[in-house]
Amino acid sequence: MTVLSIRPQAPDSPAPRRAKPARRRRNAVAMMLAVPAMGLFLVFAIYPMLRVFYLSLFDYSLTAPPEFIGFRNFTYLATDPQFGAALWQTVVYAVGTYVPALTLALVLAHALNTRAPGSGLLRLLYFLPVAISWVAVSVIWRVVLNPDGLLNQALGLHLNWLTSSSSAMWGLVVMGVWKETGFFLILFLAGLQSIPPELHEASRLDGAGAFARFRYITWPMLLPVTAVCSVMAVIRGFQAFSPQLVLTDGGFGTQVVNLFVYKTAFENARMGRASAVAVLMFLLLFGLTLLQLKVFARRDR
Amino acid sequence: MSGPRGTAARVGRVTTLVVAGLGGLVFVSVLVYAVLTALKPASEVLAVPLRWLPTTFEWSNLTLPFTETPFARYFLNSTVVGVSVTLLNVVTCTAAGFSFAKFQYRGRNAAFMIVLATLMIPVEIIYVPLYSLVYSLGWVNSFAGLIVPAGTSAFGIFLMRQAIGNVPDELLEAARLDGAGDLRTLVSIVVPVVKGPMAALALFIFMLNWDSHLWPLLIASDDEHRTLPVGLAAMQADNLGSAAVPMMLVAALLAALPTILLFVTLQRKFVEGVTMSAGIR
Repeated sequence: MTVLSIRPQAPDSPAPRRAKPARRRRNAVAMMLAVPAMGLFLVFAIYPMLRVFYLSLFDYSLTAPPEFIGFRNFTYLATDPQFGAALWQTVVYAVGTYVPALTLALVLAHALNTRAPGSGLLRLLYFLPVAISWVAVSVIWRVVLNPDGLLNQALGLHLNWLTSSSSAMWGLVVMGVWKETGFFLILFLAGLQSIPPELHEASRLDGAGAFARFRYITWPMLLPVTAVCSVMAVIRGFQAFSPQLVLTDGGFGTQVVNLFVYKTAFENARMGRASAVAVLMFLLLFGLTLLQLKVFARRDR
Repeated sequence: MSGPRGTAARVGRVTTLVVAGLGGLVFVSVLVYAVLTALKPASEVLAVPLRWLPTTFEWSNLTLPFTETPFARYFLNSTVVGVSVTLLNVVTCTAAGFSFAKFQYRGRNAAFMIVLATLMIPVEIIYVPLYSLVYSLGWVNSFAGLIVPAGTSAFGIFLMRQAIGNVPDELLEAARLDGAGDLRTLVSIVVPVVKGPMAALALFIFMLNWDSHLWPLLIASDDEHRTLPVGLAAMQADNLGSAAVPMMLVAALLAALPTILLFVTLQRKFVEGVTMSAGIR
């Protein structure tokens, strides 16, 4: 980290004492530059963050003043089958979507990390869904997942993808893989391109085969990117909201945690209970992130 | 390089590219299907067996969202909010990044730690108290409620601090010796050097905001303030029958068009934004 020195560089320049008020004034200006951002942060991120912990201990409906009830929100959630289901459905969605998306992205990144003609266009094809908003993607996929839509006709099936408890989640998962693979493809491609080509050249000269090069060079060099991808996948998985709201409204076994929070808070006006869910999710995500970083740090060695 | 080894490697590479190509076709077929179906007469949209091409292209479908729904209004709202949020982010994050990267003062590290800490928290988690805060500010169903809380980002501050940290101190020192103040140095020395990261940040924030659904849904539920994701979802809820399929597809594709165009023209900047957000480069 470099810090601007305002000390005169030549030893014989005027006494450094004169620089002091100037430095104080300058630092005041520098602090002011951070104020807009930090002010917005304090009001719209830090304060709500602290308040979510506080509100989780209250019964609060927004219109009436909060009433302190201790940990009752948490004990309620512990036995609420709806919350349990929401947690489970989030895990199913996150694992179902992001394990295939990450795997596909990793494989595709290797295939597309070349200058071969057409590889640029191919990247673009995989990236396009990333650029489309979740709601627009959902609107498009309602037609794709229609009993007479593209997916069924391509697979020769006649499934009611979105209106059956046995398939609604999987319809969302197929759509999620389509939307998210490109995002991780970008990350893996960037990771691959940051590996110095000399490493591969050298090992090729040493007679290492393609698999050995992947095992001993690419994979270890990609570990930091893989760590980032897996942390992001968990966070994005738990952020799922729009498709579930737009396509199934949480029905047919697709009520994910975010939707559960939304309905608890804004349809049933249980702000305190929704805050308790937020606190639990915060602790869970924080724990999962730390765990992942630890796992990857150990494998890195 | 020739010989059996080189040929085998080349065959392997061509095979993987072909497989990746087939996968790419599967991926893009969804969009091709959506575009073609948007131009079909309503009676053909869900024909069995599937017809890719319409018998007649219904170009008049293109205006349906505008004549049947307040789609133009949603589009305008999204544009206003997206541009404002992006400008605000670029300004606040660049200023804070400069402050954190090139000055030392009491509280700087603490402030930056706060930024880093919030980097890992999904915003959804704070929506309940954030909503009650914005509610008490009287900002429900207002553009202020859509724009101001999104006016800065931890990722942006982090990004700009990294970018500005790489600007040589000598450059700033020279500006100072020429009598430029800090603001002047920021605007005329630092900004031109970090234009690239600023553009990547702008693109990334704009696309993120264009996708934002939950917050606008909470804060802007009336037609006057609905953004595209909220408006599209409402349109969809009102038009579930297959007769409305072409209109809904036109709306979804038009809603996707700005970010797709930005993405296609500024692909490299976007990739930069994503990879910088992941801290890869």
